[in-house]
Amino acid sequence: MNTGKSVDVSASLAAPPRSVKGSLSAIVRAGGLLGAIIIVAIIFDLLNPAFLTIDIGISVLRSMCSVAILGLGLTLVIVSGEIDLSVGACYGLASNALAVMWIIGGLPIYLALLGTLIVGALVGLFNGLLTTWARIPSFIVTLGSYNLLYGLSLFITSATTFNPAYPPEGHTVAPGQLNFFVSLTQQLGAHQFSAEIFWMLGIAAVVGFALHGSLFGFRLYAVGGNATAARLARLPVDRLKTIAFIASGVLAAIAGILDFSFVQTTQPDIGLSQTFPVFAAVVIGGASLSGGKGSIIGTMGGAFLLAELQTGIAVLSPGPYAQQIFLGVVTIGAVGLDILASRIRTWRGK
Amino acid sequence: MNSEARRAAFAEGQPVSLRGVTKRYGNTHALRGLDLDLFPGEVLGIAGPNGAGKSTLMRILAGEEEADAGEIRYGDATYGRDFLARHVAVVHQEPQLFPNLTLAENLLVGREGTRWLRPRLSRRDSNLLADLDASHLANRLIADCSLAMKQRTEVGRALARDAGLFLFDEPNSALTADESSALFRQMHELAAAGHIVILVTHRFDDLVRHARRVVIVRDGQVAATLEGQELTEEAIARQLVHGLSASGFSRISTGPGQNRQAQPLLSIRSWSHGGSAFKEVDLDMARGEVIGLLGVEGSGAREFLRSLARVEKATGEIAFEGEDISSVEGAVAYVAPSRTDSLFRNFSVASNLLVRLGRPMIAGAAGSLKRRAMRDAAQQGIRRFMVKTPAPDAPITALSGGNQQKVAIAQAVMTRPKVLLLEEPTRGVDVGSKREIYTLLGDLAAAGGAVMFFSTEVLEVFEAATRVHVFTEGRLSSPLDVRRFDHVEELAAVVTRIEDHVAQEPVA
Repeated sequence: MNTGKSVDVSASLAAPPRSVKGSLSAIVRAGGLLGAIIIVAIIFDLLNPAFLTIDIGISVLRSMCSVAILGLGLTLVIVSGEIDLSVGACYGLASNALAVMWIIGGLPIYLALLGTLIVGALVGLFNGLLTTWARIPSFIVTLGSYNLLYGLSLFITSATTFNPAYPPEGHTVAPGQLNFFVSLTQQLGAHQFSAEIFWMLGIAAVVGFALHGSLFGFRLYAVGGNATAARLARLPVDRLKTIAFIASGVLAAIAGILDFSFVQTTQPDIGLSQTFPVFAAVVIGGASLSGGKGSIIGTMGGAFLLAELQTGIAVLSPGPYAQQIFLGVVTIGAVGLDILASRIRTWRGK
Repeated sequence: MNSEARRAAFAEGQPVSLRGVTKRYGNTHALRGLDLDLFPGEVLGIAGPNGAGKSTLMRILAGEEEADAGEIRYGDATYGRDFLARHVAVVHQEPQLFPNLTLAENLLVGREGTRWLRPRLSRRDSNLLADLDASHLANRLIADCSLAMKQRTEVGRALARDAGLFLFDEPNSALTADESSALFRQMHELAAAGHIVILVTHRFDDLVRHARRVVIVRDGQVAATLEGQELTEEAIARQLVHGLSASGFSRISTGPGQNRQAQPLLSIRSWSHGGSAFKEVDLDMARGEVIGLLGVEGSGAREFLRSLARVEKATGEIAFEGEDISSVEGAVAYVAPSRTDSLFRNFSVASNLLVRLGRPMIAGAAGSLKRRAMRDAAQQGIRRFMVKTPAPDAPITALSGGNQQKVAIAQAVMTRPKVLLLEEPTRGVDVGSKREIYTLLGDLAAAGGAVMFFSTEVLEVFEAATRVHVFTEGRLSSPLDVRRFDHVEELAAVVTRIEDHVAQEPVA
């Protein structure tokens, strides 16, 4: 039953990938992912009949949220032919900046949220300009900003942890503001359906439109597919890439805000460990690190699969090692299968 | 191939014979039973129009490709592909070296002769460096060496591994006059040492001056051999285009009409290249014209066209219908010579056609794509440009080279430019597609636009252009009205005379 639910969700995510380019291969890829999601669900259910329940299904959806939102931004950057290693660190900086502005700085929550989004946008602008204007490879730029942002997080928080319900001495948080902040991800209905899931789906729809339904997305694929040709075609290559980086920064900030609201604590190193799962989700979703390839539905599917594995293993609780091993196997396996499938296709095409 | 042949160098003093060498790509016959004898000690020139099989011949000789039929032999033995790959040296315009290694290390790579230790130069290698006049540069990174020195290093690499056949493929197009004469000196030395030396170039004066024989490759065969008295630039030029105008293509009949006094569409004054490839060029372009620019590499013709597309920097005045060009974005569209620089491999045929369009053609106010308009435009483009594709959504890689080129040109034309600029519009394109492309260019001009293209082929400008300008050493010739010439040979002869004239007495 619950498998049916997850199917509906991943099928209705965002706009269907109607992109003019390779829509067929995107559908095949999404279909393959869907198959993997169902098979994994069946395996876990055989191992532990308590797995296929609505509660666990919702918990999977909730736990995929931050990886998915970060992955949506990363997908834009990767489609444009660049890379953003700083998404996890940006998520952390956003969450900590929010805490500092709101709890320590005493800024009203609404302004603090706006400020946090601006922080994300500035991080993206920084990455984007260094990549396009200064022509430093984005791998280097964002490897640098990963450390830089983590350093900033440590600096602004003085390496402490925040919880708005228990502000440090000398500071107060207005109860109304706290309620508003917590309500961003409040649990709804009998099954504790977190509002964070709606945020995720709404954002996926918006980013899905931007990538698959708008001129911006069409050109982003062109830039990632062949930057030289895009320049000769007089497309604004640098601007498009910079916008992708800014979107990635803003989405990371949103993910940071939502997780902070849900968990209600933030610490300086939060988000750093998200970096690689986010890449795994995007790559499992069919994006190519050489650019010009990737889809929103794929990234969402990748994030779902990872969350499913994580939850399933947590339920079985064989030990902390299993999750890491699975993450590695699934990442290599998904991309390996994809390459194998495309080889078979060309071989049959001959 | 037996191990004996694997070890042996080219047999000394014996000619190498190509017999019945044939190569097909799909339905195209690149080589049709080519016969050719190569003699040690001579510099052999090879000339031929693009697509005549010249480059296929080079690749087979260099062991990069296997012939479908025929053999390359000396005496009783045949040379296999592995042998050729090892013993034939190719010197390109862009040397294939390791830019991150030093000049000396480049000589050693691949035959280090040591298992664990870092290889060192042998006495013989040191002598070789001295012969190359490169001892003082031994420890310099190849990336920091001049092109001439890179080419010399490439020759050195070949000598070090006992190559016996040297193929120089347009080697001096980017060299200075001094560097060029040094290169030719080296070629003659190689020949004198008993090696086989082959020179492939579009520069007829170099062929006449340095080759003992020049063979003309046409339609995949050796069509003629010129030597002695017969070997003149004009003879080569005529041979290259001989019989080709019988392709059945009805030549472009549009023209600037009689309204000469009307304002030119594009007017260029004192146009000078940022890198001094051309200087002080003046040119007017009227509606309905298809202007062909001819010139060997380094003559400035290519750079001139690219500068109009603002792909290269140039200064001067350029006016479009009397206005400054920068204010009429979209009036000029440019098609790159290589399809890899125009096409998006991750896109379908349809998307490749539409990629240069924007609002309002394919997207609405909010930036949302107009699916129906896109589909209609793509289908229209496919029809208009005669693109043979299984479906609009087919991947671009599924198309033949000629059809990919049509898509590349269509992509630019779909922006409805007033002036279309093309660099080598039919490079690597089959005859049928060539004809269709020429028709399209003519149609575009007839519809009130103007077309300018750069080509290395006299036949191409003869078939596609209304007016021709020849670039020599950065200067533009007076226009040649293509329609005055009944045969491509006559045009070729005139073009050669222009190029020759300037080469001998530079215009002050």
